[in-house]
Order: sequence, then structure tokens, then C-alpha cells
Amino acid sequence: MADALEALAARAAGEPFFLACPLAAYASSEGIDDARLAAALGCPAQELAMLRLCRAPRAEPGKFWDDVNEVAVRFGIDPNVLADAVRRGQVILRLREAWAGASRAGGSLLAARDTDAPPPEDPP
Amino acid sequence: MHRSIVNFPSPAQGLALHLRLCDSDSIAPADLCRAYLGPLVAWLAARSGRVDQQICESAAHDALVTYVRNPRTYDPARGDLGAYLRMAARGDLFNLLQREAKHEKGRVAWMGVEDAGGAGNIPGEDDPTSRAEREEEAGRAKAFLAAIAEGFTRRERDVLNLMLAGEHKTSPFASALGVDSLSETEQRREVKKVKDRILKRIQRGGPPDG
Repeated sequence: MADALEALAARAAGEPFFLACPLAAYASSEGIDDARLAAALGCPAQELAMLRLCRAPRAEPGKFWDDVNEVAVRFGIDPNVLADAVRRGQVILRLREAWAGASRAGGSLLAARDTDAPPPEDPP
Repeated sequence: MHRSIVNFPSPAQGLALHLRLCDSDSIAPADLCRAYLGPLVAWLAARSGRVDQQICESAAHDALVTYVRNPRTYDPARGDLGAYLRMAARGDLFNLLQREAKHEKGRVAWMGVEDAGGAGNIPGEDDPTSRAEREEEAGRAKAFLAAIAEGFTRRERDVLNLMLAGEHKTSPFASALGVDSLSETEQRREVKKVKDRILKRIQRGGPPDG
């Protein structure tokens, strides 16, 4: 049963509805495995699957913190740490989407801006 | 019948979970999955003796994910949540088995396509509408990235490109930042500082704070 729940939590990593999704993006961008993710969040490793299966916090400013606090209280973790990981994960996901979209059409992404143009001179 | 060998939550527990889900309770999806996953898998496995356990699990996963994302597809006035999920999981199992069967049948045909080696095998590749949509999407994506990179130094843009490429080793970032002569700990600290700054700016969406 624990394995099936973990498999479901792993599947949820591909579903933005679940907390698993931004947490997976965060973990991958930090290059950390499940054990280190659990440690970083201050969540017992055996609770990680359940944490991942929670709903991702809603984007609306007030609701975001409500949701984060709700999850943090249930799992006994620091809400600021959770919020930071979720926000970072969400940013990474948006960047990946943009990267994938741009890559499909070919070409380099930021190459056009890779030259360090001198700053504009002050007007006389 | 088969239901008797597995312990589904009671209708009241199911309703309580359903209401929490509808009320956007953040923990409800996890509690619901924990409560129903085991019974659903066991129920499917008991009904479909020759079907691989993993396929049963996938079907149960499909049913649960679909439901928690759209809890209002379930009408409590029409029955117990357990019954609804069993019906959904059975349908998902059927779909998975059908897909498997099609995949097996289509394998030879697909290899034939690969062996032909000709161009134009990507579906929709030559469809002008799809092409236009892809170009439009790419345009939006590029504009989004350009807006993000606005105000970043060249080194920060290099770091951003590495992050976009999925790099997570410290050394490429350290090289991009020109701090590769520092100790490993210092490199990690410097890289983290820049990554944090970039992510903070992106999250804020405002101008760089230097």
C-alpha cells in the first residue's frame, strides 16, 4: 500500500494540481533526492508521499498562505520553508514550459541578449 | 461480493472527504488517496485476476487523480463515493487494457514507419494550422523569456540558461559566474546566491535590485 501511494505521489508530480508537481521541480533544480527533499522541508521521509498528494497552494495571494499554513500545520513543517520551495518550483515549471515552447521552434533562447551592450549614455 | 474482501471507507467518511475536497481543503486529496487507493487496487485485482497488478494500480491512480481534480463529477445524491470510484477505476482499467492491446497491434506498423526513413512522419508537421500555432506559442515563449532576462547581466543570463537547460551541478554555474577558482563550498554559496537572486527577481517580476 505504501508503495502504491508512493507511486501515485510520483505520478502526481506531473499534475500541477498536486503539491508534488512544484516540489518535484524544486528538488530537480536543486539536484536533491527524496531524502534530502524531506530533510530540506523538515518533513519525516515516510510522510513525503502524503505531503506530495496535497493540493498545490492556490495562486491568489491570501489563499496561497492559507493553503501553505494548512499543509504546514498538518505536517509540522515551517510554512516559510514550504512556501519558498513551492514558489521556486512554480517558477522552474513556468521556465520549463517557456523553454519547451521556444525549443520546439528551434533557435537559441536568450542568445539575442547575450551581448553586453554598453549602457545608454546619460543625456548631455 | 468482491467488495466484502476490501475495506472501503464508509459512505459517511466518503462524503466527508468529498466535502473537504469541494471546500478546497489542501490536505483532502492526500487523505482521500490514502483512504481509497488500497481498497481500489485490491478490488480491481480481485475482479481482474489475470491483469497485472501494476495496471490495476495505474487504473486506480487514474480514477483518483481524475476525481480529486474534478470532485464535482461525483454527485453524492446518486450513491456512495466508493461505488463511484470503483466504477471510474473499472472504466479506466478497461481503457488502459484497450490501449495496451492497440499498442501491441500497432508495434509492427510503427516500426514500418521508422524503417521507411522518410520525412514528414511527425503528425501535424505539415499542417499549416499546427505550424502557425507552434510558431505563435514559440513567439509567446520567447517574449516571456526575454521579459524575464530584461535587466540581467550577461553572467546572470548564462546562469538562467543553465537552469533552463536543467543543469544542477555546481561547476557549470561556477564557470559561468567566473568563480571556479574558489573552494567548492564557496562556489556553492556563490551559485546559490545568484540562483536565489534570479528566482527572487522572476517571482517578483519587477526590475532588478542590483
